[in-house]
Amino acid sequence: MTLQYSEIIFEHFRHPRNYGALPAPEVAYEAVNALCGDRIRMELNISADQTIAAVRFRGDSCIISRAAASILTELIQGQTLQEVITVPQAVLLTALRTTIRPARVKCALLPLHILQTGIAAYLRFPS
Amino acid sequence: MHEFFQQLEQLRSINRRVALATLVNTVGTSPRKEGAKMWIGEGGEIFGAVTIGGCVDAHVIEQAEATLATQMPCLIELPLGDEEAWELGLSCAGTIEVFLEPLHAARSQLFDLSTALKSHLDSGGSGALITCLDGTMIGTKLLLLDNGHTLGSLGDVTLDQAVCTAVLPDLAQGLSRLLSFVLPHTTVRVFVEVHTPPATLIIVGAGHMAMLLVQLARPIGFNTIVVDSRPRFATPERFPATDTLLVGIPSEIVKTLPLSSSTAVILVAHDYKYDLPILRHVLSSPVGYIGVLGSRRRGEGLRQFLREEGVPEEALRHIRTPIGLDLGGRSTPEIALAILAEVVATRYGGSHLPLSQQRQDRG
Repeated sequence: MTLQYSEIIFEHFRHPRNYGALPAPEVAYEAVNALCGDRIRMELNISADQTIAAVRFRGDSCIISRAAASILTELIQGQTLQEVITVPQAVLLTALRTTIRPARVKCALLPLHILQTGIAAYLRFPS
Repeated sequence: MHEFFQQLEQLRSINRRVALATLVNTVGTSPRKEGAKMWIGEGGEIFGAVTIGGCVDAHVIEQAEATLATQMPCLIELPLGDEEAWELGLSCAGTIEVFLEPLHAARSQLFDLSTALKSHLDSGGSGALITCLDGTMIGTKLLLLDNGHTLGSLGDVTLDQAVCTAVLPDLAQGLSRLLSFVLPHTTVRVFVEVHTPPATLIIVGAGHMAMLLVQLARPIGFNTIVVDSRPRFATPERFPATDTLLVGIPSEIVKTLPLSSSTAVILVAHDYKYDLPILRHVLSSPVGYIGVLGSRRRGEGLRQFLREEGVPEEALRHIRTPIGLDLGGRSTPEIALAILAEVVATRYGGSHLPLSQQRQDRG
């Protein structure tokens, strides 16, 4: 497969961090890009002080989307839910260390959208 | 063949004496219909809807009366004229052989063997019910499973071993046939009735190609499963004829599906995000066919990626890309036809050559 993206994107695609499932997640949210079919599920364990105790993701998605999800799981470790829910999109796009074409920005931001939507739902209706 | 097990179960429950007639050989005609069955009770009563067909039924029923009276199995040979052949769905005159055997729920070995076979089929395996057709061992039965396990016997250890050696390699191809074996003092013919799990077509990617594949696969008898992550594409409206429509993470869905030698996995999403994780899984399974839509170059790219992950070269050779037989067609329906032609040819071990070419070769 031709290397078209930054080294960090390709590395995270091939060796995603925090890939898999949590046995009893407090937050679990899955979404799909309706047209391209990228589908990702994010799961979180939340500590009593409302910080991220553990995060896992899984799914079938493109290189950018998968790498972004992997990088995102590293970015949010130990953060509070309020911090995660307000992470600006630019933070994740910068962490990818490459210029994402406009047509692919949606791919890169899908994991963040899933994570923030899942946390928002949890904050409204905590389990 | 599922009718066979249903019928057997019904007969076990009513506990009556019946004769089972099985078409075991066709000579000089085609298509092959070996394995066609009918069940005849006392008084000529026919159980179930399945018969061998045409005027042959009448003759078989007469013979079945004798079988029930003597409680002895027998092999009958019936020459067919053109008209009789057509009634049976055969193309031209020839000879057929039908094996008749008495069955009784309380003491017939067939019930025990079929229970074991059904259980094996349900777990995705294949098996062969082998019946001795002549000599002193006429009517004896041996069950051979594709894992090499056996149950029952043809009455001779040497014959059992010879039959297993001959049948096991081709078991998954599902061809029932008559075989002859030379023993020290005689030649014995056996009927090998192969049972395979229902052929299943798993299609990943709910695009236009998948719609056509489902339409064409149904009349061939495939159980079809369509998988996609996009609910907008994988809808009952787009796939009214599919048996199962599954939406979710495709690689996770495929891991939940039973995969056997009768399963064909066709990846038509043309998207590596589905192809790679699904290939990783199915390449370590016994599926009979793995095809990926795409060019030769794309296929090599997928193989190289998997190779670098440590997938063995032998497993990678199972991936068919470009997919389908070379029929010369270019439209989507033509490509769908070419794909299914390759799936069927692979399932039955076909040569992929035109039949006319084959006959010429055979001289």
